[in-house]
Amino acid sequence: MSSRGLYIRRRISNAMAITFAAAATLLGLFFLVWILWLTLVNGISALHGSLFTRITAYGPEGGLANAIVGSLMMDLIALLICTPIGVMAGTWLAEYARLTRLGTVIRFLNDILLSAPSIVLGLFVYMVIVLPMSNLTQGAVSFSGFAGGVALALIGLPVIVRTTDEMLQLVPGTLREAALSLGVPQWKLTVQILLRAASSGIVTGVLLALARLAGETAPLLFTAFGNNFMSVDPLDKMASVPVAIYQYTNDPDPALHAIAWAGALVVTLFVLALSLLTRLFVSRKKASYE
Amino acid sequence: MNNRAFAVTAPAVETAHHTKIRVRDLHFHYKEFQALKGINMDIPEKQVTAIIGPSGCGKSTLLRIFNRIYAIYPGLEAKGEILVDGEDILDPRYSMNRLRSRIGMVFQKPVPFPMTIFENVAYGIRHHEKLSKAVMTDRVEEALHGAALWSEVKDKLKQSALALSGGQQQRLCIARAIALKPEVLLLDEPTSALDPIATGRIEQLVEELKSQFTIVMVTHNMQQAARCSDLTAFMYMGELIEFDQTEKIFTKPDKKQTEDYITGRFG
Repeated sequence: MSSRGLYIRRRISNAMAITFAAAATLLGLFFLVWILWLTLVNGISALHGSLFTRITAYGPEGGLANAIVGSLMMDLIALLICTPIGVMAGTWLAEYARLTRLGTVIRFLNDILLSAPSIVLGLFVYMVIVLPMSNLTQGAVSFSGFAGGVALALIGLPVIVRTTDEMLQLVPGTLREAALSLGVPQWKLTVQILLRAASSGIVTGVLLALARLAGETAPLLFTAFGNNFMSVDPLDKMASVPVAIYQYTNDPDPALHAIAWAGALVVTLFVLALSLLTRLFVSRKKASYE
Repeated sequence: MNNRAFAVTAPAVETAHHTKIRVRDLHFHYKEFQALKGINMDIPEKQVTAIIGPSGCGKSTLLRIFNRIYAIYPGLEAKGEILVDGEDILDPRYSMNRLRSRIGMVFQKPVPFPMTIFENVAYGIRHHEKLSKAVMTDRVEEALHGAALWSEVKDKLKQSALALSGGQQQRLCIARAIALKPEVLLLDEPTSALDPIATGRIEQLVEELKSQFTIVMVTHNMQQAARCSDLTAFMYMGELIEFDQTEKIFTKPDKKQTEDYITGRFG
């Protein structure tokens, strides 16, 4: 009798646990789908060719051409800065400082940077790049696409450090032993074998970092500032899609709201494409190393 | 050094072969734990020496000292002497390049490099020797022949080595090791991750390779030691209990512990 009661109790708690877990999933999915749906519906209805051909200076009759170009430029600047630094730092952490105290401390600091509020990073770049540049050039150069790119790089950097570190740690230790037992020195092993073995994971990290920094607004407010005209000069103020969205949604004009929605859709699709690309690399990785 | 220990444990195995590796009073520590306690052993040239014993007896540890691969991890310390043709390889001044080109190693799990089959074999050679393209091609082919893999891969040398089966990958690892023309080949449980057919192939290969190399093989499989080794060392709790002709170890061992182990009474 008692064992029968035990089974029934377990079945009930099992059913309850499944119900709660499913409900939580549905709740999360509900808002996610709602957000994507609103973006899609509002974005598509405002999506015109002029979005990609006209600049923000035309206001309600304009598009986001300068903001899209600015975003792409600053994302590129950010990647050019944070990819080499991040991959090298992650390599150092995994291959040269894995079990050391210094490595542990740096890994911890990197995790803090990973979750630092992005506006703080924007203020930091304002202090160390925008203001000094303005002082040096007597105000000729102050807010700039370069400063925006640096701020975005600070968003992407910890992502790349962390994924590089983790991907290299996943490379089987026997691969290191096998190469070293051939007499190959550590640096050759690292550059020619380990980074290659972890390459698809590292590329995944870079794409994740790009997806993360592509949607950032706060770090750009005090660094790239924004620009209503087309500019590809990295030392000039530069427009970006997230900042344009931010400015347009603060405006009472519904025509600007529509453009903001279209911009939101473009950024979302860009990040979605990056995620798909990332998944492609992850599945390729599975095909190679277990 | 402790001469009494020599008298007791230095196994003077009767073989007509020249001694390739002479181990003298070898101790190994991992922090406070002593993994090897005064090993003395004379490993003969161009013979297959198997090291058997229960898990944790120190057999892999001993093998990993022969090419000093243990040294890549912190906190490990080997004391004593290992003479390869009279040269003390534990001497910190001994060149790592020379050591690793003289002593090759194959590991438990096959670990091909993320490169083509050809590059896997050529990679190690390239580090030690500058060869013309034609000579390199010959060397790679020779090594793949030596590892009995050539006929299976000759048409796909440019393909990724990761696509090969486990048994083929392991033979590729053997090819990679023998491509450097080492004098000694260390095999650390080379078949434990393979199926019986692939295992049979590797064992046959070991038999063929011993005409060119001195082979030291760690195995947890007693039948394997009996099948393909000339000499067998039995280790237990960090000590070398008995080292003799394989036939003798498996038919009339001198020590009771050896007998208990090979008859399956423990381990």
